[in-house]
Amino acid sequence: MATAMDVDEPQKRSVTVTKPIPLTFDLGHLAAFDANPLPPLTPQSLEETLHSTARDAAQLIINQILTTVELKSTQDGVYATLPDPITQLPREKPVPKPKEPTKWEQFAKKKGIAAKAKDGKLVYDEATGEWVSKWGYKGANKGVEDDWLVEVDERKQQDVNDNPRNLSRAERLERIRKNERQQKKNEKKAELGGASSSASGYKNRRR
Amino acid sequence: MLQTVKPKNARSKRVLEAREPKLVENEKTTLFLRGTSASKIVQDAIGDLHALKKPNAVKFQKKNAVHPFEDASALEFFSRKNDASLMVFASDSKKRPHNLTFVRFFDYQMLDMVELGIDGETFRKMSDFKNAKAGVGLKPMISFSGSIFENNPTYAQMKLLFLDFFHGNTVSEVDVESLQYMISISAADATDENPNPKIHFRTYMLKTMRSGHKLPRVELEEMGPRMDFKIGRIQEANPDLMKGAMQKAKGQEMRTKKNISIDPMGDKIGKIHVDRQDLGKLQTRKMKGLKKRSRGESDDGDNDIEMEDEDVDMGDDALPAVSPKRAKV
Repeated sequence: MATAMDVDEPQKRSVTVTKPIPLTFDLGHLAAFDANPLPPLTPQSLEETLHSTARDAAQLIINQILTTVELKSTQDGVYATLPDPITQLPREKPVPKPKEPTKWEQFAKKKGIAAKAKDGKLVYDEATGEWVSKWGYKGANKGVEDDWLVEVDERKQQDVNDNPRNLSRAERLERIRKNERQQKKNEKKAELGGASSSASGYKNRRR
Repeated sequence: MLQTVKPKNARSKRVLEAREPKLVENEKTTLFLRGTSASKIVQDAIGDLHALKKPNAVKFQKKNAVHPFEDASALEFFSRKNDASLMVFASDSKKRPHNLTFVRFFDYQMLDMVELGIDGETFRKMSDFKNAKAGVGLKPMISFSGSIFENNPTYAQMKLLFLDFFHGNTVSEVDVESLQYMISISAADATDENPNPKIHFRTYMLKTMRSGHKLPRVELEEMGPRMDFKIGRIQEANPDLMKGAMQKAKGQEMRTKKNISIDPMGDKIGKIHVDRQDLGKLQTRKMKGLKKRSRGESDDGDNDIEMEDEDVDMGDDALPAVSPKRAKV
């Protein structure tokens, strides 16, 4: 036992560093700020001085991390949870603006209409007893489009030459186009609302 | 009407989306490029800085006829093309030998610029130090030594610039094993003979040794590059642009946790507010007669409870059928 202790003794290296002005840390950036003036730098001792001040700073950062920060040991290793950075640095790009509400969203808010809950893509078809998609291939929004027999609706059939088979489909396509028009209008409105301060487009800024 | 690029396929759409402004930003990309004339020293310097900044860095190979302080629009174009908001421009001239221009961008517009001249005699590149280098893409530790970084506004600005260039990604957790190297930036104090002391840029590998204490003993070994910078021309940031760059995203502010504080020794101190104790509910000596019982309680349960009570009369055992009704009243 005693010999083992003797061997350990010379290994006791100092882990403490004392500085006249204590260092400040920004562990979010893993940074240390040492406000102590450097000892006079002569060309001969320059590297030595820089090395020793850097070593002291490194020791203090490591001490600070291992003592003040929460350490999590996982299978992959020990992780130190870093605090949020204190020093604020400039952003790369401006803070994104919140999305402009669409005309419907504005209206719904005014009237207090809650958004419809999303209840999936499928809907139950009582006639066949099957679950079919709401739209798309064999979708439930097709109505009478694919039926082998179509009743002539005299209110919709304004021109005698119109094919009564196509009327339901034309109506559906018109609904799609209307929705696209509204989308475009909303996009345009949002762009005008946010364009005043945002950066100009890429193509305009070419040399 | 402003023209915007519309993505033609899913891949370019993903790229454009990755470049959009974000609430929590990604790591800044650094672009390294050289002017028409660049000495061996500055070329080595940007090569080594590129190695430190990988993988979030781009290095141009060709010469660029650009003079940043005369017209930065070409650099702004490169910034936009490469989605890079940090840039190091290497040049060499008789008037400004071995010159590195550190440029920062906000929203692809030039924010500020600093010219740093490398001392050609003391410069050592990374490969001059024959030792192991830090892994690629690790977050370095940064230290700033010297009171001049606190007192002198120019040097304080340099401190922020270097921190911005080298701090890497802002992460919430870091693997202790990955704390492999440190960038040490130091400067002596200004004196009358030397009002603008050089900034010494050093990088060291960390070696931790057993110390016999709980904490390890840290030793350093220089890894390179070694550069001594002389500050040249400075282009200050446009206040309006800087204001936009310093804007904080709403909902991203640090939330102060109530009643938790850390004292100067680094100990976490919590303040706990405790209600006044309700003495009415205080548990006093348990006695059979004072026990509250529900109506439906079975005899078995009764016996169990009796077992716990140590100082009950033996007579109670003889009368297990004390009616719960009476006990309740």
